[in-house]
Amino acid sequence: MNIDDKTTKALAASLKYRQMRQELIASNIANAETPGYKAKKIDFEDALARALDTDEQQTLKTTDSKHFNVGGGGFNNLQPEIYEESNGIVSPDGNTVDRDQEMADMAENKIMYDASVQLLNKKLGLMKYVVGSDR
Amino acid sequence: MDLLTSLKISSSGLTANKKRMAAISSNIANAQTTRTAEGGPYQPKEVVFGSEPAKENFSEILAGEMGENAQTVIAKEVSNSKKPPVLKYEPNHPDANAEGYVAYPNINTMEEMANMIEASRAYEANINAMNTAKSMAMKDLEIGKN
Repeated sequence: MNIDDKTTKALAASLKYRQMRQELIASNIANAETPGYKAKKIDFEDALARALDTDEQQTLKTTDSKHFNVGGGGFNNLQPEIYEESNGIVSPDGNTVDRDQEMADMAENKIMYDASVQLLNKKLGLMKYVVGSDR
Repeated sequence: MDLLTSLKISSSGLTANKKRMAAISSNIANAQTTRTAEGGPYQPKEVVFGSEPAKENFSEILAGEMGENAQTVIAKEVSNSKKPPVLKYEPNHPDANAEGYVAYPNINTMEEMANMIEASRAYEANINAMNTAKSMAMKDLEIGKN
């Protein structure tokens, strides 16, 4: 068992992007009445699933010093998608924030964040059990 | 720190809505004010919202990977001169003009009350977002604690 294995990396990435999502939701709620503000969303689940699938195998090799390292399926090269949401709700001043939707998304995000932390703790607990058994 | 940025964004929302609430209560209180220091009737105040990137400098924006996606809200108080005063015929009023008309501020109390409810709901939503960010940050401290 490696402390830096796939599970830990995936959980760490999940925590990172859920924090980003919280930031975007806070921004959307704060700007719910700013004229012309467009609601923003972040999508990282697909990128994370891809990274889990490829298991860092599909990396592009650099064979020349002039090559750019574009990375590959690794967790460090996750490319989450940040886009302006268009769910059809546009107020006359051009604002597209749906505050109820944002509150629901925030609740979901919080629960999933707590779940990730809990899983990470279980993982660490497992290691602690292995390391610290004195029987 | 992303969660601290979230807190900053939410607190900007709180400040903005507080400013708005101040303008609303000022308008309600002065709905009948015909005499001000600048002369003439009270000018209704309006708060306009604008957004600006939550990250302050370029390196922060680069490091945050978020670009200018997370935006704080900024509120500016402006006196609205687009609403012309309402003239009422009250010849005996001390502020009446030569024809006997008094200029009253053009304030619709019902409209202000509706705005007030909206401001208070927006304030609550921002408080909620702030509490969520806070409890996420507190949850962070529980990692590895068992």
